[in-house]
Amino acid sequence: MADIEDTHFETGDSGASATFPMQCSALRKNGFVMLKARPCKIVEMSTSKTGKHGHAKVHLVGIDIFSGKKYEDICPSTHNMDVPHVKREDYQLTDISDDGYLSLMSDNGELREDLKIPDGEVGAQLRSDHDAGKDILCTVLKSCGEEVVIAVKTNTALDK
Amino acid sequence: MTDQIISELENAANIIMAPPNLVSNEQRHAAESIFLEFRKSKSPYGICKEILENSHNHYVLFESAEVLKSAIIREWAFLLESDKSSLRQYLLQYITTKNVPAFVRDKILQVLAIMVKRASIDDNGRERTNILHEVENLIVNAEPSKKILGCNIITNLLQEYATTVKSTDVGLPWEVHFKAKKQFEATDLKRILQFCVYLLAEVVKSDPPYSETFIQLTGHLLKITETVFTWGYVSPILPKRLIGIYESVYESDASPALKLTNTWSEVILNPDLLPLMFQIYWKVRDSDQLAHHSLNCLVQLASLTGTILYSDEVRIKYVHLYLMTFFKLISNVTVKSKESLGISNIVKKLTIFFIHDIPKLPESIQDTLFDEFTRLTCHFCDGAVLEEAQGQEDKYFSDAFDTMLEAWMSIIQEYNNSFENSFFECAKRILNKYIQCHLAPPDGCRQISTNEAEEVEDDEDNDRIRFKDQLQAIGVFGRVVPSHVLPVLFKLLEDRINELLNNLGVMQTRAMNVSEAASLDNLFEDIHWIVLISGHILCMDSDGETPMIPSEIMQYSLQQANRSESTLESTANAIYALQSKAAAPDNFDRCDHVIRIVFSIMKLCTIEDTAASVSLAQFMSPEVGSTLMWFLKRWCLSYLLPVENYYQELSPVLIGCTGKDTEGARFIVDFVLTKVRSNVHHFKSEPILLRDTVDLFCDIVCVKHKSTYIVKTEAMRNLLDLYQHLEPGCLPPTIVRGLCKGFVMAGAALHNPRDSDSTSTMNEYFEMMLTPLQQRFKTLLGQENFSRVYHEEKVQKHMVDLLEAFIGIAKGSLMPSATTLFHFLAPILSELSVLLTIYSNYQVIVQLILELFGQCAKYMLCFLSPLDSKRLYESALATVQAYAKCNAGRFTTETFAEEFTYQDLGLVLDLLTFILSKDCFDLCQDTGNEEINVSASDVSLFGLNFIMPLMTINLLKFPSLCTQYYRLLVLINDIYPEKICNLPPELLQTLLRSIEIGLTNFGPDIVQACLDFIQGMATYIFRHAMLNSPFSQALRPFLKVLMDLTLSHQINSDLISTASTSIYALMCCFQEDYKMLVQSLIQNQPDPMTAERLAAAFNNLVSNVDMTCDRLPKLKFRDNFDKFVVNVHGFLLIK
Repeated sequence: MADIEDTHFETGDSGASATFPMQCSALRKNGFVMLKARPCKIVEMSTSKTGKHGHAKVHLVGIDIFSGKKYEDICPSTHNMDVPHVKREDYQLTDISDDGYLSLMSDNGELREDLKIPDGEVGAQLRSDHDAGKDILCTVLKSCGEEVVIAVKTNTALDK
Repeated sequence: MTDQIISELENAANIIMAPPNLVSNEQRHAAESIFLEFRKSKSPYGICKEILENSHNHYVLFESAEVLKSAIIREWAFLLESDKSSLRQYLLQYITTKNVPAFVRDKILQVLAIMVKRASIDDNGRERTNILHEVENLIVNAEPSKKILGCNIITNLLQEYATTVKSTDVGLPWEVHFKAKKQFEATDLKRILQFCVYLLAEVVKSDPPYSETFIQLTGHLLKITETVFTWGYVSPILPKRLIGIYESVYESDASPALKLTNTWSEVILNPDLLPLMFQIYWKVRDSDQLAHHSLNCLVQLASLTGTILYSDEVRIKYVHLYLMTFFKLISNVTVKSKESLGISNIVKKLTIFFIHDIPKLPESIQDTLFDEFTRLTCHFCDGAVLEEAQGQEDKYFSDAFDTMLEAWMSIIQEYNNSFENSFFECAKRILNKYIQCHLAPPDGCRQISTNEAEEVEDDEDNDRIRFKDQLQAIGVFGRVVPSHVLPVLFKLLEDRINELLNNLGVMQTRAMNVSEAASLDNLFEDIHWIVLISGHILCMDSDGETPMIPSEIMQYSLQQANRSESTLESTANAIYALQSKAAAPDNFDRCDHVIRIVFSIMKLCTIEDTAASVSLAQFMSPEVGSTLMWFLKRWCLSYLLPVENYYQELSPVLIGCTGKDTEGARFIVDFVLTKVRSNVHHFKSEPILLRDTVDLFCDIVCVKHKSTYIVKTEAMRNLLDLYQHLEPGCLPPTIVRGLCKGFVMAGAALHNPRDSDSTSTMNEYFEMMLTPLQQRFKTLLGQENFSRVYHEEKVQKHMVDLLEAFIGIAKGSLMPSATTLFHFLAPILSELSVLLTIYSNYQVIVQLILELFGQCAKYMLCFLSPLDSKRLYESALATVQAYAKCNAGRFTTETFAEEFTYQDLGLVLDLLTFILSKDCFDLCQDTGNEEINVSASDVSLFGLNFIMPLMTINLLKFPSLCTQYYRLLVLINDIYPEKICNLPPELLQTLLRSIEIGLTNFGPDIVQACLDFIQGMATYIFRHAMLNSPFSQALRPFLKVLMDLTLSHQINSDLISTASTSIYALMCCFQEDYKMLVQSLIQNQPDPMTAERLAAAFNNLVSNVDMTCDRLPKLKFRDNFDKFVVNVHGFLLIK
C-alpha cells in the first residue's frame, strides 16, 4: 500500500502537478503559497473582512522563493489557494567544473552535475571554500520545475 | 579684529543657510566647524555683545546667544558680581529696545532666565523679586509690544524653574535645582498669580470685539495662570527618582492636581476668583486661541487639594461655590465638541477630589448635580455617535463620554447603593441613551455607515476591547436598575430574533436583494450590541478573580421569585424548550429575567447551527458568532454550577436551573460543548470565531469543579471524536493546539487528592485522548521510506498537525497532570533532535519543534521531578545543538534570511529562559534521587554556548531578540555569577564583546542590562578575591570604557546612577587602573585651569568613599558621582 502511494507521489514530484490546493484559512506564516503564479514563502498573514459582519478574508504577503520579489494577494478564507510542492535538499559538493557547473552528491550517493554555481556572495563563498578544500554542503531548492542552490554550509568542527 | 570675526561668522552663516545647490559639502562642513569653534570660546561676553550690537545676520545673533548661554553655565562661579549684573542689564535692555526675530529673542530670554535663576541661588531670590517688579511695571504701563515682552520674560522664568530633574544641563546638581524651585514657589510664584488675576479682572470688564493686541495679552496672561495652576507642587520628601517620574508625567500633558498649602488661601479661596475664572471662560470660549488655556485653569481649580482646604467646612464651601458657578455655565450654553473634553475633565476631577464632600452638600445641589451630569453624559453620548458615523479623527465627544462614565463610577461607589429615587432615574436615562445610540432606527439612533464595502482589519481592536471601559461602566449602571434594563434587553433581543428567523425563512426560498442584505447587517449589529451590553450587566470582569454572580443580579432574581414573578418551573421550561425546539416555552412571562436573556442567546446559537446545516452559513455574521461565544464564556464562568457557599443569599430559581446536580446545568453543559463542536465543524474558515470558540472551551474546562462535570459528558466525547477525525491541516493555525489544551486541562479535573482511585480515572482519560496521537506519530515516523517522503505535503501536514497537538498538551499541563503528560511526551521529545535535522530546511516544522520545547519548559518543567527534568533538558539541548549544527557557517541567497533566523533564535532564547526559571520557581515536591543534580542554569548556559556563534550584531538589531538576549544574560548573572566566571575563554570573550556592544548600540534598557551585568560581575570578583583570574582580566577594560562613555555624554542621564555603581564596583577591583586612568585624563587637558578643576573634581569624587564594594560606600559614591558628572560636564568641552 505504502509503495503504491509512493509512486503516486513520485509522479507528482516529477512535474505533473507542481501544486496542491489548500484552504486559505489553513495556510500559515513561513509556509508556502502560489502568488501571481510564482512559488512564494508567506512572510505576513493577516485577516480582514468586508464590512463588520462579513466573512474572513486572508491577506497574504509572500516573497518569491527564487527571485526574492514580494507579492501580495487577498482572498476569501473559504477559497482554496495553490500551494507549491517545495523540496529543499542538501547535497555534498564534490567539484566545480570549469564552466561553472557543480558536481553534487546526494545522501544516497547519487551524483548530479546539472546545477550552476549561484550568483553573488553565496557563489563567491562557495568557490573560495571549495578552493580552500573545505567540506561543503549545498542546499538545493526545487519547486515548480525550477531548481537552484540557495545556501551553502561549510562543515565545521561542531559537526564532527 | 572684532569686525573680522563678525564677518567671518556672517559668511559662514550665509553658507550654512544657503540652498544645497549653491555650496559644496566641504564648504558647508568648514562653515559648521567655524561655529563649533566659536561655541568653545572662553569668556566670550565682550565679543558676543559686539555681535549683538553690530551684526544683522539672525543666525549669527542666535549662535552668539547660544555661546553666551553655555559660557555662563560653565564660568558662572568665576564671574564677577558686577559683570553678571551689567550683562543682565545689557540683555534686558537689548530685548526691550532691539527688534529681533522671535527665535533670537527667545534664546536671549532663556539666557536671561538662566542668569536670574543662577543668581537667585546665591541671594535667595532677592534680585529676582526686583526684576519681577520691573517686569510688572512694564506689563501695566508700557506700550502693547512691551507688555507682551514682559509676559514672555515671566513665561521663560517659569519654564526655567518648573523642571528640576531634566535641567542638570545648566550645571547644577539636582538638589540645588529643586531647592531653587521650592524657594521660587514659596515667594514669587504666588505673586505672579496674584498679578495675573488682578489683570484678568480688568480684562473681563471689556466686551467684544477685541483688538488683536488685547487677545494676545489675554492669551499670555491665561497661559501664565495656567502654568501656575499646573505647576508640579511636589513634596520635598519624595526621592529624586519619583520626582523625575512626576516631572515627566507633567511634561506629557497630564497635569498634576493643584496641591497647595494654606499660604495660598488668600488668592485661591477668594470668593471672587472662581466666578472670575468662569466668567473669563464664558467670554473667550469662542476663541480657539484662548479657550483652551482658560478651560484648563478651570479643570485645575476642580482638583484643588492640600492643606489649603484645611477643614470640611472650607472644602464644602469651596466645592459648593465651584459647582454653583459651573452649573451656571453649563446650563446656559450648549457644550461644543472641542470643549466637551475639558468640561468632562472638570466633572472627573471634582469626583476625584471632592467625592466625599458631594453627599454632604444640600440635597437640592446634589439633585442638580445628578441631573446636570446626566444631561452632559447623554449629550456626549449623542455626540460620540455622530463622530463615529462621520468617521471623524478627533473623538472629543467620545473621550468626554468615557470621562463622564469614569466620574460616575466614583459617584456610584461613594453612594454605595444608598441612592435616592432621583438617581435611579439618572441611571435609566443614561442606559436608555446608550442602548438607543447602539441600535438602528426606528428603536435607536445609530447612524448607518454609508461606506458599505469597507474593509475591516481584523481584530486587535474589536468592540469588546475598544469599548471595554465604557461597557464595564454601562454594566455597573445596569446593575443599579436591573428591573428596568433586563426587560428592555430581552424584549429587544426577542424582537430581533423573530426578525432574523423571518429573514432566514425568506432566504431559503429566494435570493436576497441588496437592501435586504443591508438590513440583515443592521440586524446583526443590533444583536451584537445587545449581547455585549447584556453580558456586561449580567457578569463582571473576573480577570484573576473567582467569577461570581453579581449580588445585585442575585438579589433581583430572588426578589422576582419572592414576588412570584418568576417560578423555577417556567424558567426551567425555557431551558428545555431549546432542546425540544418548541417555538415558545410555556409560561414564558414567568421565566427569570436572567435566564430569559440567556435563552435568547442560546436560541441565536441554534439559529446559527440550523442556518449552517441548510447551507446558509455564509449569511451568518462571524462577528455575532464571536460575540455569542464571548457571552457564553462569561456567563458560564459566573452562573453555571456556582459554588453555593460563596454566596450569602441564593435565588432558588437561578440555583434550581444552573446549580449542582440540576437537569438544567447538565443541559447547558451539553449545549455549550455541542456548540463548540458545531463551530469547529461548520466555521473552519473563520479564524477569529474559532479562536473565541476555543477560548470558551478552554476557559470553562479550566474551572475545576465545572470541568469534573464536563469531562464525563457525552458531548465532550463527541467533541474529542470530531477532533480525532479531522483532516490534518484543515483548521487555521493554533486552533488545534487550543483544542488539545482544553482536552488535557479537562482531564486534570478528574484528579482528586482525597481519592486514590481518581488518579487512575485521570490516566484512563488521558490514555483515551493521547494514545491515538502517539500512534499517529509512531506510524508517521516509522514508515519504511520516511527519509524519502518526509518532505511530501501530506507527511508535512501530518507532522505540523501533531506538533500543534503536542504544543497544546504542553500548554494545558497543570500540577496534577504534568507528570503523566510529560511521560507521554518524553519519548516523542527525544526523537525531535533527529527530526529537526531531517526537516532543517523546512522552517515551519523547525519552529514548531523549538516552540514545543519552549512550551514544555514553560508549563511543565516546574512540576517535574529531577529525573524527568533531566530528560527534558537532554532532549532540549540535543535539539538546540542540532539546530546550531544545521545553521552554523551557512550562507544563503534568500531574502529575509536574517528575519527567519531571528524568529528561530527568539524561540531558542525563550526556551533557555524558561528552563532557567526552574531554578527560581520549582513546584515539584519530589526532590527524590539526589544523584541527579543538573542545574537549570547549566543547561541554559550550555544551550547559549551552542547558539552564540549564530548571534550576529545584525540579528541583535531586532529589538525583541536584543532584549531577550540581554535579559537572559542578566538573569543568569544574577543567579549564578560563578557559572559565568567559569565559562570557557572563547565563550566568555563573545559574551563580554556583546556586553560592550550593548553599551553603545541599542536603547537605554539594554544599556541598563549591560551595566547591571558589569556591576554584578565586578562585585562578585571583588568579594571572592578573584582579581587574578582570567575572567577578571577580561572585565578590566570596562573601567575605561564606562568612564569614557559617561564623560562624553554617551550614557543617557537617566542611567548615570546605574553607571556610577558599575564604575564603583570596577574601581574597587582595579584601583591601580583607576589611578592611571585619572592621571592620563588630567594630563590630556591642554588648559591648565581645566586640568586643575578636573583634578579637584576627581578628588571630591572619592573623598570619604571606602573601596570595599559595600552598599553604603556605593551609595555615597553614587551621590558623589552625580555631582561629579554635572560639574565636569559643565567645564569639560566634550560634546
